[in-house]
Amino acid sequence: MDLSALVKRHRVIVCAGSGGVGKTTTAASIALWGALRGRRAVALTIDPARRLASSLGVEGSDDKPKKVPPQLFRRYHLAPQGTLAAMMLDQKAAWDALIARHAGSPELHERILKNRFYQSLSSTFAGSHEYVAIEQLCVLYESGEFDLIVIDTPPTRHVLDFLEAPRRISAFLDRGVVKWFLTPYMSRGWTKLKSINRSIGFLFRKLEDATGISALAEVSDFFAAMSSMFDEFRERAATIEKILRSKDTAFLLVTGPEEQVLTEAEFLSARMAELEMPLRAVIFNRVHPEFKAERNGELASQPPGLDDCPEIEALLRSVLGRQLKRPVLRWLCRNFVGYQLLARGDALRMEQFRAALPRKIPLVSVPNFDTDLHDLGGLARMHSYLFRE
Amino acid sequence: MKTLADLLRKRVLFVVGKGGVGKSTVATALGLAAARRGRRVLLVQMEATERLAQLFSVRMGGEPGPRELSSNLSLLRIDGMSALTEYLGLVIRVRRVLRMVVESRLYRYFVAAAPGLKELMTVGKVWYEQERRDPTGGGFFWDLVIVDSPATGHSLQYLRMPRAAEEAFGPGLVRREAKKVADLLSDPARTVVCLVTTAEEMPVAETIEMYEQLCHLRLPLGILFVNRLHERVVASAEVQQWLVSLEEAKPAVRSLVEEILRCAREEALWAETNEACLERLAARVPLPVVKLPFLFTEEFGLEQVEVLRELIERQLGVRVIGTGKTAEYRWI
Repeated sequence: MDLSALVKRHRVIVCAGSGGVGKTTTAASIALWGALRGRRAVALTIDPARRLASSLGVEGSDDKPKKVPPQLFRRYHLAPQGTLAAMMLDQKAAWDALIARHAGSPELHERILKNRFYQSLSSTFAGSHEYVAIEQLCVLYESGEFDLIVIDTPPTRHVLDFLEAPRRISAFLDRGVVKWFLTPYMSRGWTKLKSINRSIGFLFRKLEDATGISALAEVSDFFAAMSSMFDEFRERAATIEKILRSKDTAFLLVTGPEEQVLTEAEFLSARMAELEMPLRAVIFNRVHPEFKAERNGELASQPPGLDDCPEIEALLRSVLGRQLKRPVLRWLCRNFVGYQLLARGDALRMEQFRAALPRKIPLVSVPNFDTDLHDLGGLARMHSYLFRE
Repeated sequence: MKTLADLLRKRVLFVVGKGGVGKSTVATALGLAAARRGRRVLLVQMEATERLAQLFSVRMGGEPGPRELSSNLSLLRIDGMSALTEYLGLVIRVRRVLRMVVESRLYRYFVAAAPGLKELMTVGKVWYEQERRDPTGGGFFWDLVIVDSPATGHSLQYLRMPRAAEEAFGPGLVRREAKKVADLLSDPARTVVCLVTTAEEMPVAETIEMYEQLCHLRLPLGILFVNRLHERVVASAEVQQWLVSLEEAKPAVRSLVEEILRCAREEALWAETNEACLERLAARVPLPVVKLPFLFTEEFGLEQVEVLRELIERQLGVRVIGTGKTAEYRWI
């Protein structure tokens, strides 16, 4: 199945990969492709850095997807048959929205919002992104407003947190650990808990020591306040798990041809296979194409190096001749040799990477464009490579 | 702060920036520059990747603790969970009790429930390493700790954690420790944060945002490294004209010349993007800039890092400890 069939047949596309490989751009480009072909598409970015908004001209979107305005499409001579929306996840806003959605009463809502543990969890602490991101995917999915949801995930290591989040939430809620936090404050009191079991008592004293008692009290109060929502959360976690494992969902790996990036990609694809969320396609961005000469002769028989420069310079002079000065000729030649070096390195590493992947996965190479892709026009330029059209 | 000596005089040097712009490379180059000058340097990575160690043909494996990469240069990978365990080991002296605590479900869930704790412990470990004393003498064990931070959004969370924890936690050990770490991070005599970016639209936008947030956090800032700059010898428009004029050329040579010109146009266009981005950076990020070229190479290895080190040394006003290999440096 090639990438266009893959996108056509799936409702949720999750783009994974390390930072700086054009993941956001690729996700946005796929969403745009869907929109041009009549899908109601949305691109969701959960990267803490604000990239997608600037690519799609929807600055300042917070907890709701924002439609890309028609005049922006016209500016790039694009005529979408569907719609394109983009959403950038603001962590704090997303948490607040989540609480507002699930809190039964305004009092409870208020109590949670004022809790200091909640405040730090929602705005300051790292790692809680993944939880709200996955919740956001669920909201978009269930809203029924979109039939193509393309998510750009956080960089490699965090993407695993993201994918494992539903399981962890369920495990967290199931094992009754929450009760340990709840019970002492709610019914039995702190001292009582300490006497329940020497080791737990000891542990709590240590944690008290380490964190300050008020923090623990806040944590406990947070869980107490949240407890009425737990059933619902558990249900959500199950729903999300279902979405991620559904036949409607496909995982793509976005990567570059550099060694560092490919090492990360290998790690990621192995872990995703373990999670039983296998990759359906791999996209290599910013690949330098190799020049394959059609003619016979020395230059074609092996890749050109700096040694070949005099010969290439002579050739250039004969073709472009009179117009060119020596330093320019020299630069043209060296630059070409440089690009061939890059291309050869890319090809070798991609080949190695390919060998480690299951056979059937389609691999798509997108060349290194000669400018940044950061607007709708740029996103559309990627289509001919992504979808071979 | 305009010289390498100023930078290397600090206790801790954080290297931050968007993913994939070359943070590790710049951190390593700075580490090598310091190590060559006889400073004992600890490079810290917060993500478990083998790549940096591979540059020096060293295997990190799962072993905790610093590994020597080359003379005077060691690498330590800090993972939040083990840093927390190590830290608790300082609080809870009895091994058996420590194991019981660490292996208890309550502990594991406590850490999961307060995700920021891991980040705090990671930065705390950096603090601990820079405080370490040399057992044989009175001085510090490390002359300089260089931290290769995770990608932008996450590294900000690390840098923000100590102060946030100090404010969020009640009086207690963590709060006191957090304050020590936060004080270190905001002390310009001991800490410096350097930014790395490429001169492209998205990384530049992120760098500007990052710079503003770092200012807001009142962290001492050093140098802005602009990496992978392309060179413009001819304007892209001119190359385009040559491409058009090719239509009259003989078919036998045309494909090759066309390819040469296409590569030239690509290079010139990148160079033009770089120039515009450098201007934007100059207007929005008022820090001294070190410019590093894009290197044409089949595989990026230690040799390439050394070239960048020499270029950093040259621009930051110190004598270059050289291999003398600079004439052809862009094609290696």
